[in-house]
Amino acid sequence: MSLAWQFYISTVLVYLGVDVIACWGLNLQFGVAGLVNFAYIVFQAAGAYTAAVLTLGPAKPARLGGFQQYVGGAHWPFPLPILAAGLVGGGLAAVMGSFAIRRLRSDYEAMVMLVVSLIATSVASNQVGLVNGPNGLALVPKPLASLVNLSPVDYQWLFVGLTAAVCLCVYWLVHVVTSAPLGRTLRAVRDNEQAAAALGKNVTGLRMLAFVLGGVIAGISGAILVEFTSAWSPGSWLYPETFVYFTAVIVGGSGNNLGVMVGALLVPVGFLEATRFLPQFGPPGFIDALQWIVVGLLALTFLWFWPRGVIPERRRRFPPVAEARAPRSLIRTRIGR
Amino acid sequence: MAACGVAAVSTLVPAIGFGVVTASILAVAGVGFTLQFGVTNILNLAYGDIMTAAAFVAYLVTAAGASVWLALAAGAAFGAVFSVALNRGLYTPFVRRGIRLFGMIIVTIAVSLIVQNGLLAIFGANFFSLRMARPASVHIAGMVFTSVQLAIIGIAITAMLLIHLLLRYTKLGKAMRATATDPELARNCGIATDRVIDLAWAISGALCGLAGVILVMNVTAFTDTTGSTFLIPIVAVAVLGGIGQPHGAMLGALVIGIASELAAAIISPDYKDVVAFVILVIVLLARPQGILSEIATRKEVAA
Repeated sequence: MSLAWQFYISTVLVYLGVDVIACWGLNLQFGVAGLVNFAYIVFQAAGAYTAAVLTLGPAKPARLGGFQQYVGGAHWPFPLPILAAGLVGGGLAAVMGSFAIRRLRSDYEAMVMLVVSLIATSVASNQVGLVNGPNGLALVPKPLASLVNLSPVDYQWLFVGLTAAVCLCVYWLVHVVTSAPLGRTLRAVRDNEQAAAALGKNVTGLRMLAFVLGGVIAGISGAILVEFTSAWSPGSWLYPETFVYFTAVIVGGSGNNLGVMVGALLVPVGFLEATRFLPQFGPPGFIDALQWIVVGLLALTFLWFWPRGVIPERRRRFPPVAEARAPRSLIRTRIGR
Repeated sequence: MAACGVAAVSTLVPAIGFGVVTASILAVAGVGFTLQFGVTNILNLAYGDIMTAAAFVAYLVTAAGASVWLALAAGAAFGAVFSVALNRGLYTPFVRRGIRLFGMIIVTIAVSLIVQNGLLAIFGANFFSLRMARPASVHIAGMVFTSVQLAIIGIAITAMLLIHLLLRYTKLGKAMRATATDPELARNCGIATDRVIDLAWAISGALCGLAGVILVMNVTAFTDTTGSTFLIPIVAVAVLGGIGQPHGAMLGALVIGIASELAAAIISPDYKDVVAFVILVIVLLARPQGILSEIATRKEVAA
């Protein structure tokens, strides 16, 4: 395999890993818990900024040749910035969830989250001192690069391995959450909130938990992305990016971790990478515009023909319970399709 | 001390003037948005992009040499036709197919992306402006308005008055309020809810188109994202007024319009939308049902 191809394939693999992790997080919030978080990309961005700032070291003032300004720079050794990114993502989710989830109807919630996403971009761009404004952060040192002495292409493969390892950890986490009784309870809350509450489940607390876990996972995905690309700016996390992840989750099969993985392979990676090989035509920006139109049409098509995705969530059947213990309708009821 | 006070007044009074203009645009857009959501129960996040599309229609009309008044009419007509078609052709079929609330929000965002990027693909990433006669400026009580801004205020007041009369005194308005409150009961009472919903999309779509055109009349240049950016204050207005409450939205528009222009004058123009957002968060924490909803409920029961 030629060197160029090795670079290309390893890059795509890292992007795939990041997208898969991000989609698992969103699936936990949207697919499993039924939370419509249109600010999902903000958690990824928060994780990315955290990891970048904690790797870059303290900001140099402009008079000493520093070209980017940000708060809280530090030189933390390798795995710590990524863990910190997860914590920041989760913390942000806890703060936002505390006012968005508590007593909002899901349509209000969706609207507020969309606005949060737009405002976050505007603040990050306008508060230049915070994370270097519209130019964003650049030249984030690559993790372990100074410790291991590898050629650039071997380092690429090392990063692929690293991403795969994180993927496995995150998969283990989402698998445990979704297959444990906790996952069943979350699905019950999603499908019939009143019934779950009537059975004594803490609906708000459960939603909050899914929201925060999703935030942690999003933060980690952002951290890996920024450690790989070594640059991050407000242009990397505009609100339509959240829509790409939503489309991936719907196309793959909302509520099913494996399906969501396929969705991440098909939509963000398959789509955005496939157009790389198209000849450029039309005025600048024309292909990008068409790409977004096609993503929109893809979401509509799947919602119309296959609303449950390529690999649908497995419908769980339970053996009949004694009628006296709980009305059967409560256990088997699933609202919608 | 005195000089400082004078300086503050001289920046604040014009800011209130700008605020009234912004509030006028917000009122038209916000009432359309809240009416659409209240009557049809679909949260149409493509609203801002339909505004932009109407602005482009107005742009084509003025570029062809017609007057700006014709452009306003064309924008409103486009908004009405497009909204009805969107509902009949896409939204209603999806609802009939059993797509839940989450799904419908994703459908409207998909439409928003398709419309916005469709405009980008057709017109390109350029700045556009309506061709209008150079406006004269008018001084009123320390505030400076251009004749265009006065026209915007006039258009907004007329539109709000018409909407008020429609909702309060006509049969259609009553039917709309009934459909918004309980569609099934309304249908059982012999109201042709399908027709009412069509008309609600037409009226709110016309307001949407109108808002898109007056929005770009007030700025020097607009792009394919002008309308979607404006969605933040529109949502804030609708939530502040209580979703589905046109009168609440009118009041909300006044509050948010003036507050955001004052903030722009005092803090920084970059933070106009942040003010709208802060108001939105406060309302959601303190009064998620909106400022006017209790009064409105009481009236609804009495009527």
